[in-house]
Amino acid sequence: MSPNLLLSEETSTQNLRRRLLAIAGTVILVATYLTLIITQPTGIAEGLGQGVALGTFAAYLVAAVLLLLAVLSDLQVSTLTLIPVALALNIILGQFVGSVMVPLYLDSIGTVIVGFLAGRRAGAATGVLSTLVWSLFAPTVLPFAAGAALVGFLAGTAARFGALRRVYLAPVAGLVAGVLVGVVSSPVATFVYGGTSGVGTGAVVAAFRSMGDSLLSAVTKQALISDPGDKAVVFLIAALLVYALPQRLSGSFAFVRRYRVLGKRVSK
Amino acid sequence: MQQELPALTAAVLGLSLRSFTYLDGQAPVLHNVEIEVFPGSLTVISGQSGSGKSTLGAILAGLLPRHGMDELVGTISVAETQIEFSKSVTPRVDVSQWAKHTGLLPQDAGHYLSGIRGTVAEELAFSLENAGVPREQMCQRVQELAHKLHLEHLLERNPQQLSGGQERLVALAALAMSEPDVLVLDEPLAGLDQQASAVVSTMITTLRAQGTALVVLSDSIRAWAHEADSLWSLEQGMLKALSSDEQEQQNRTTRETPRSVPEDSRVLLSLNSVKLAYPGASHPAVQDLDLEVRAGQCIGLAGANGSGKTTLLKAIAGLLTPVAGRLESFGESGLLLQNSSDQLFERTVLREVTFGIPKRSPLQQRVPEVLAQLGLEAYAQTHPYELPASARRLVALATVLVRDPEILFLDEPTEALDEAGEAILQEVIRSVLERGGAVVLSTHDAEFMKSTAHRVLTLS
Amino acid sequence: MPRTIHLHPFTILAVAVAVVSTTTAASQWWLSCAVLGLCLLISGWAGQLKKLSVLSGAMLLPTLLSLLLIHGLVSRDNSPAIAQWGPVRVTVHGLEVALSLGLRTAVLVVVGLLCGLLIDKHQLVAAIDLSPVPPQLGYLLAATHFLLPQMGEKQRRIGEAQTLRRVGTGKGVTGWFQRVRLRAVPLVLASMQDAQDRAVHLSARGFPAIGTRTRLRTVPDSSAQRAIRWIAIVVAVLGPVLILVLAQLGSKS
Repeated sequence: MSPNLLLSEETSTQNLRRRLLAIAGTVILVATYLTLIITQPTGIAEGLGQGVALGTFAAYLVAAVLLLLAVLSDLQVSTLTLIPVALALNIILGQFVGSVMVPLYLDSIGTVIVGFLAGRRAGAATGVLSTLVWSLFAPTVLPFAAGAALVGFLAGTAARFGALRRVYLAPVAGLVAGVLVGVVSSPVATFVYGGTSGVGTGAVVAAFRSMGDSLLSAVTKQALISDPGDKAVVFLIAALLVYALPQRLSGSFAFVRRYRVLGKRVSK
Repeated sequence: MQQELPALTAAVLGLSLRSFTYLDGQAPVLHNVEIEVFPGSLTVISGQSGSGKSTLGAILAGLLPRHGMDELVGTISVAETQIEFSKSVTPRVDVSQWAKHTGLLPQDAGHYLSGIRGTVAEELAFSLENAGVPREQMCQRVQELAHKLHLEHLLERNPQQLSGGQERLVALAALAMSEPDVLVLDEPLAGLDQQASAVVSTMITTLRAQGTALVVLSDSIRAWAHEADSLWSLEQGMLKALSSDEQEQQNRTTRETPRSVPEDSRVLLSLNSVKLAYPGASHPAVQDLDLEVRAGQCIGLAGANGSGKTTLLKAIAGLLTPVAGRLESFGESGLLLQNSSDQLFERTVLREVTFGIPKRSPLQQRVPEVLAQLGLEAYAQTHPYELPASARRLVALATVLVRDPEILFLDEPTEALDEAGEAILQEVIRSVLERGGAVVLSTHDAEFMKSTAHRVLTLS
Repeated sequence: MPRTIHLHPFTILAVAVAVVSTTTAASQWWLSCAVLGLCLLISGWAGQLKKLSVLSGAMLLPTLLSLLLIHGLVSRDNSPAIAQWGPVRVTVHGLEVALSLGLRTAVLVVVGLLCGLLIDKHQLVAAIDLSPVPPQLGYLLAATHFLLPQMGEKQRRIGEAQTLRRVGTGKGVTGWFQRVRLRAVPLVLASMQDAQDRAVHLSARGFPAIGTRTRLRTVPDSSAQRAIRWIAIVVAVLGPVLILVLAQLGSKS
């Protein structure tokens, strides 16, 4: 008898392990965040400051990797081949879009596209992986993996609840996502790096500081100024790119069909 | 769903298909297709671009229908197992197990390669690696196969840096690694020059001699007809056997030679000891080139890969400034690049062709003309990416033609075109020449060159 | 001619992690500088000095400037000010904070980049494939690494083709938007179609592996390296803890 050519229907034996990983990742992330917000460690450059920096760095990175492991073996091959494209798009599109509009980073277009087409898990995985790969060229981005995962996750969630069925809904969803991402990422910027990595953003933080804000709230305010705008533009661009895809391509994603992500646009 | 077949059946692969419809497709792409493939046989299926050839190939290889998306009604027998598909039941196929019996070489062979391995040897071993074959055994099998298929010289090469022909050789060898009973080859010789084409044919013959049954899907049967055990043609999703008369007809090539032109017509383009180099390159791409093109002339550029044909065309079209020498062109020019279908971005063919033309411009009237000339009217409202490759290439040509260029530059224009598309291209070239324009083209297709170019310039 | 180190990629990474974590915890300017100097020496030996300096310079300069702005210019501690102008208040302490934060980031950046330059990407992928992590991870790292230059090239070709069509020359916001669309849409279309076409063949070749998987490529390893890796991991975790505890004790006594 020849080997079986057919696959049995999907089983859910490994679901528990994956769910535990995802929960562990989320718990670490939330716990670290809350600890930092509540204790508000001072003296970031001396004494225990070093420990806070290392701890924040490690916790955010570990949380991101746990979340990645939770979704990785679930991904379909078609999503798997899409992710590297998305990572490359993050970098390439970010470069030539960003070169014109300086104040925005626009480094997550690919991640958001994957979130829109393949759902929040794939989106989150793309975010983390994008950061891991990019860290080979720019090591400082590593602890921002959790923020990147959140971007992909929120893009998937937004698409699921119809943010792509109307053009104007996409930037609104981006605005909301930007607020959340900004809030989650600022502790990293504050406690690991003691500020920001760009001159423009640094000036904004300095301005808030001079008005008497603590470092964390200055960095968070800066993030709340740039992130929502950035994500609104990114969501809009990603949505327009998804609309430009032929129906045969966008329709082949189970996520898109299941949640009618594109609404009536498909029937065109 | 699965049942043993009687031992009498000698066919290694059998397809009995009522209909196949893509997800969201209105009408079936294929209907009533009956095929049986016997060990060591050569089955040739001809059909134009868009006839459903590639779809048929993917069905034979178990890649279609995609579970829960496409709809197939019929039966496939592979490896003594019969699998039934119906409107309500689409079994989930284990593609990797199927591939051990029937492998598919896609039209773009590079798609078969994983693209993540550092050497050809690793690329060949990729499926063995995934199956967990011990390393010693893998080394041995890679060496044996490379020896059998004369690939030893490529083993340590980087798969990203192979030429089109070499890429196909490596993909074929990677397919042969799992020793499938049947290999389905989609356009295995398209786009190769004569030499590369000969090498690939040799490997295909070797594989067949070892008992692998072959199914070749091809636009033209010329290269295969004399060896084939069975010949079919696929038209509008229906398969029919080709009789000997029709074979004759397909074999006959009605190629004309280009009409002669007066030597004293207007000069449209002149190059005077031109030297071209890319910034930062150590050697110039083209040196000391003289060329004069007059109205009504078609000039062919020949030469091996890397001899500077594309560079020259880009320079003439104004993308590159010569380092030395004089380059003058008189009149509007238009260039069709080699990968031109990559540049399409609109949601319909009509919008694509009209793009960038001002609303009141007289060129607007050219749009329907050009679409009609290229046989694209029926596709006006289709997304360019949903067209067959040949038609998509013609859309790219349409975006050049709509601007009514006096000098038309074509870089490898026959690539991706089927026979019907090539005929349209010939017609387009003729009409440009008759209106007093000129054409400069580069191609590796010797026959096409002979039938269109008045003069051939060989670059070295 | 760049030289490569014939070490297991994980050994390099583990040592790097240990170095970064202990240096960060110790927070001594001489130690950080020594690590940076050592990195430059190694990169010089490997023939990558120029590349390392350019890459890390491009990343560190804006960071340092930003830190000077945040901590140096608007310092809010009570130490005496060197200069003061309205809300801008420069103190020695503020500058010290900015510099020490800058050094901390510099160690991370330079050590990290050096790893990236020293490790052969194919070896890294093979090492990941041979470790018990899901097979998808190695694929994704490798595929991205090889796809980047290819897509960069494709992007350049599309730009050329659009120039030839004489489109995308508009001015203002609409012109900018049109240009972005002209280049982004074909790139996304072509590369996503390509990804989809590849997926079926990848699964036909048995990817991702369900059971055990093997690699034709070998990644040389030794028991000494394994020992180094374990020690490095222990140091990376316990080193900072020890340093911080000692520092606390020292400050109390």
